[in-house]
Amino acid sequence: MIINVENLTKTYTSYERGNTFKEAFLSLFARKMKTVEAVKGISFSIKKGELVGFLGPNGAGKSTTLKILTGILFPTSGKVDIMGYTPWKDRKKYVAHIGAVFGQKSQLLWDIPPIDAFYLNKAIYSIPDKIFNEKLASMTELLSVQELIKKPTRLLSLGERMKCEFIMAMLHNPEIVFLDEPTIGLDVIAKDKIREFILEMNSQGVTFILTTHDLGDIERLTERVIVINHGETVFDNSIDALRSHLGTKKAVSITTSGPLPILDIPGVEVKNRLSEYSAELELDVSLMELNRFIDYINRNSTLSDMSLQELPIEEVIKDLYSGTDKNTGITYSD
Amino acid sequence: MVSGHKEVYGGGSMIEAIRIHFQGIKTALAVRMAYRADFFISTFIMLLVEFMTPLVTYLIYRNGASLPGWSMYEVLLIQGIFLLSRGIAFPFFFGIVWNTIDRVREGTFDLLLIKPRSVLHMAIITGFDSEDIGKLLGGLVLFTAALLNLPFPGISEWLKFIAIFFVSLVVMFGFAIILAGLGIVWVGNYRVYEIFFSISNFGMYPASIFSKLFQTIITSVLPISMLGFVPASVLLGKPAEGTIHSVLTSFVFLFASLLFWKTMLARYTSSGG
Repeated sequence: MIINVENLTKTYTSYERGNTFKEAFLSLFARKMKTVEAVKGISFSIKKGELVGFLGPNGAGKSTTLKILTGILFPTSGKVDIMGYTPWKDRKKYVAHIGAVFGQKSQLLWDIPPIDAFYLNKAIYSIPDKIFNEKLASMTELLSVQELIKKPTRLLSLGERMKCEFIMAMLHNPEIVFLDEPTIGLDVIAKDKIREFILEMNSQGVTFILTTHDLGDIERLTERVIVINHGETVFDNSIDALRSHLGTKKAVSITTSGPLPILDIPGVEVKNRLSEYSAELELDVSLMELNRFIDYINRNSTLSDMSLQELPIEEVIKDLYSGTDKNTGITYSD
Repeated sequence: MVSGHKEVYGGGSMIEAIRIHFQGIKTALAVRMAYRADFFISTFIMLLVEFMTPLVTYLIYRNGASLPGWSMYEVLLIQGIFLLSRGIAFPFFFGIVWNTIDRVREGTFDLLLIKPRSVLHMAIITGFDSEDIGKLLGGLVLFTAALLNLPFPGISEWLKFIAIFFVSLVVMFGFAIILAGLGIVWVGNYRVYEIFFSISNFGMYPASIFSKLFQTIITSVLPISMLGFVPASVLLGKPAEGTIHSVLTSFVFLFASLLFWKTMLARYTSSGG
């Protein structure tokens, strides 16, 4: 195991300022304290060479967890062991082994070409000339940015810049790379290129932890997904298990030649009533078997067309984010 | 525990640290020179602003008034040294102040924590401010002009001066660290510069013009007189009383400021930014 996380918690206090002018004014003198439990006992481990997706809605505790794993924050309690280091205790030694790309925070320098920023990193990490040049050559080729890295960063497109962010994060040969929404705002072609790059680096043995809201990233890249919500792990398994998480539910669309029968029956949820004759439904086959369903429709009307599909992965994620865990039956609402 | 991993780069030697610093300076200069006109204009304006106090001093003496016991050129020498000390401090390390304030506000302070160097070192490297080179030029001009109008100091005065001038940089560094530390918890507050300027300006005048109590404060508690007055007195061969004491205070001040920085940094890493 390259990463071992046990019972990680993080609680911090923040201040409420209020939204009216009066409240804001009063907060200048006395502020209401609020305790925020950002992470409430997360545990997982990751093997070397894995590519793990780290999902969760905004404010779920993803970023806090990622900040702890990168040594930026220290936790309230819990144990983290990454390659033998405790990130927040051995920060300087530890971070030499990791890389990070933040989709929303640039490590490049706005006014000058990426290549200058690369040289700054070369000095900071003391990368030997030979290794630096080799690594730079191979990565610029892989991402086809050989010429771009000499143009001022501000003249690059978002996609071009993001490719350079990846080079910046990986010049020192990190063993683990943390990616925080690396494809945010990119067009499909740039996304593809970045995803190919991640897969190529992964095949060379680099471990990746990826947070994203783009399920395309998850489907293309990861084999394993950890979903956290309200500071707790709600799912940790393979992407196939994720797909079958709502396995007993199917997406069904039906068209009848007569008016649709009453669909307010157990196991059936109307998602979209398209007309009097057709509708899109979610069918839970553990409550209403398929043949019984067809039978019911035919008894009350005449089925003229029907299609049946697995629920799209978005539905699974929505289900996990909304806080109902089917396996445990626990509801994680406030 | 840690074995079998790939080679880790990075050493911790002083030379290494200086090399990185120079790479940072080179990078920052490249940034500034991307806008050439702005570079020259802002350097020039910086020079004008910094010459305000010497100009006032000149006008005071021109009109027959004076600071007791100090000739005009002696006072200008203090102000030249003060400017010189700021002229070295501001471009080379005082940038940690705005760098920290900016980064904490924007959330990019985190990026300094994921580099295998001390956060302070990273803040210095990425905080080089070429505009402030104007201060250095101004200081050199004023220092030279004042010195040419005074009896030239002997070797021993020069040697003592160089040592004491180094201590003035130590005090500057202490101030920079304290202000940057404030910037971590006091998000987005550029007022810290005003605080610094209004306090440090007392170092631009002979301490003898202040009350006894205040003199003690600026030499033995908050070593502001070290920024101009003390090194100038040493160079002029009339060291102020308590110079040794001021030197000791300066190092205590640096040590205290480092402790303060550490505390503020710990607050950052425990709070979630």
